[in-house]
Amino acid sequence: MVRDEPLREAKWVVEPRRAGGSARLEELWRYRRTFWFLANRSRKRMYQRMTLGVFWVFGRPLLPIVFATIIFGSLLKIPSDGLPYFLFFLTGMSSWMMFERGLMWVTRSLQMNRGLVKQVYFPRLLIPIAAVAPVVVEFGVYMGLLAGAFVYYRVTDGIWYLHVSWGLLVALFAQVVALVLVIGIGFFTALAQARHRDVRYGLRYFLRFWSYGTPLLYPMSQVPEQYQWLMYMNPMAAVVQTFKWGVLGVDKFPALPLLGAAMLSVGIFAFGFWSFSRGETAAIDKM
Amino acid sequence: MDNLFVDDLGKRFRIGTAPDKPFRPSQWLNVLRRRKPDEPKAEEPADGVRDLWALRNVSFRVQPGTVLGVIGANGAGKSTLMKVLARVTLPSEGRVVGVGRLVSLLELGAGFDPDLSARENIFLNAAINGVPRADVERRFDAIVEFAEVEQFLSTSLKHFSTGMYLRLAFSVAVNLEPRILIADEILAVGDAGFQERCLQRVQADAQQGLTVLFVSHDMEAIVKVCNRVIWLDKGKVVKDGLPEDVVADYQRTMWAHADAARSERGSLSNEIAELMSVRLLSNTLQEIGVPPTDESFFIRVRFRTFQRRVRTRCAVDFYAKRVLLFRVSEVQKKEHMGDETYEAAVRVPASLLAETNYSLTVSITVENVKGREYTLISYNALSFLAYRSKAGDDGPKDEQAGLLAPKFDWKYYRLRNAPHA
Repeated sequence: MVRDEPLREAKWVVEPRRAGGSARLEELWRYRRTFWFLANRSRKRMYQRMTLGVFWVFGRPLLPIVFATIIFGSLLKIPSDGLPYFLFFLTGMSSWMMFERGLMWVTRSLQMNRGLVKQVYFPRLLIPIAAVAPVVVEFGVYMGLLAGAFVYYRVTDGIWYLHVSWGLLVALFAQVVALVLVIGIGFFTALAQARHRDVRYGLRYFLRFWSYGTPLLYPMSQVPEQYQWLMYMNPMAAVVQTFKWGVLGVDKFPALPLLGAAMLSVGIFAFGFWSFSRGETAAIDKM
Repeated sequence: MDNLFVDDLGKRFRIGTAPDKPFRPSQWLNVLRRRKPDEPKAEEPADGVRDLWALRNVSFRVQPGTVLGVIGANGAGKSTLMKVLARVTLPSEGRVVGVGRLVSLLELGAGFDPDLSARENIFLNAAINGVPRADVERRFDAIVEFAEVEQFLSTSLKHFSTGMYLRLAFSVAVNLEPRILIADEILAVGDAGFQERCLQRVQADAQQGLTVLFVSHDMEAIVKVCNRVIWLDKGKVVKDGLPEDVVADYQRTMWAHADAARSERGSLSNEIAELMSVRLLSNTLQEIGVPPTDESFFIRVRFRTFQRRVRTRCAVDFYAKRVLLFRVSEVQKKEHMGDETYEAAVRVPASLLAETNYSLTVSITVENVKGREYTLISYNALSFLAYRSKAGDDGPKDEQAGLLAPKFDWKYYRLRNAPHA
């Protein structure tokens, strides 16, 4: 009759100090269904009750890129590694937006699920983690746009810009690194946002500058060789550069920076995990 | 073997702090001057920060099959206790150990999404509680049947009435097959019929080994359903025991407070007389908190007259469920000498009251020498839950129904040449 014995019969303890890391991970696994629900819900919230759904899905990411192409590519003639500026910028943005938009979603997650959190128990760690769901969907939308662009240039220019190789897998790995980084930073910002509503505005402002420090509008090759290491102190530079290299085959593979970014992301994630676990109760009690 | 252990539990709230107040430039100055921001200046009074223990040193254990009622005045810590048990908030000290799935009904709408349909919400709520989809599918019909929402399965929840919402929430909760069910007052929202069904369901499930904790201000329901009651006051367990005992003690204390509050206002007196107190006495003239239904008892009204030759007449109105059942009144006015304290007692016979909540409104009609009449009246002077004192000899379950339970004699006659149809 009872299929889920572990949860139904499990012994649980409520104490001022929460369980350790491994117990928390195990609990996350037991509550995986709740995770899917939360992920689904935040995904559904993206375009909920919007009349121009299709426009928001494709038009919203596309328009800024079109304008940027006109201004930076056509008027200012910023080099783009010999590719059409549109394709160059779109590829970089596909990678970057996962980070920027993801961080915004994760930051707001605790606040958005306030009602749920104050009424039912489930591991609170699920909330920031599940909040990246919309951005994974958006990444799919960018992939669709990218595919459309490839087909467009195949027809008009007769050139197939997609670089099919094992680099595509590395590009995907780079995006996973970005997700880990997003959640890691989000552990901190989500807690802060629960208490100080202005965190979100500050973060949006800050992210704008972060994006200028990432090779999106300009190629990494424009940065003098001796300063490139400085650029790569930014983990997102390594991610975006790897993604562009994997998909378009331009420039060279920044293997070492990517490894560094991956390690840094995992470190931030672990620290964030620990810090979120410590701070969640106080933040939620005051929400 | 117990399946819920609460051990020296405490929950502290810090009140008076304003951690989220806007950051002021003066704080920057404090930082620059190397002053700790939280340190008040000597001449300034402290921010009024103090600790409030919503719960302190609360310990109890519960066996499977227990229906545990939690009672107490507002702010006694009942809801905090429920929230800690439901793990919505963490305790500040002590611990809780539970065995088995816990499902909580803390607030109406918890874990539901008003934009989704009833059907989707059933699965959603289960998912939040970590219950597998297969389990829910198996119980789906039972959930819908108990909630009586067959026709509204595809309706989005925001169009549901409060009652439908509640029925669905309760039905999902009990059908998730919890080992421990926690309900915080929300059952009070439902109509009488549904409340009855809920309580019956809770009792039936408890017999199968479900542990239930529920908070209620409805003493009638508490005594009827619970087999154990905990009374919380200011975050501490005052009494833990059989429902009748705890409820009786609780109600007695509540009146003491009510009396004190009334006398401060002094609204029950004029220049002629004063209504001082209303008490219940057993038939041996002991003060009691809860009157028995199967023994007679007295209602004693104490009053004082300030003038000479005042004539008074007392009356007691019996209310149940806000309906005036009857009035017991003196037929004639009595004359008093003046400036003295008097007691008037009326005997309520055995086998009149039912095991339900009553409220008494006591009035004294006062007539002065000149023949002018005044009325002193104490609305809801007492409210209590009558109970049957001789436990064990329960008659058939349907023996009594309604707001009164008088015992009348039955006589049988055998009809000899009765025409058979």
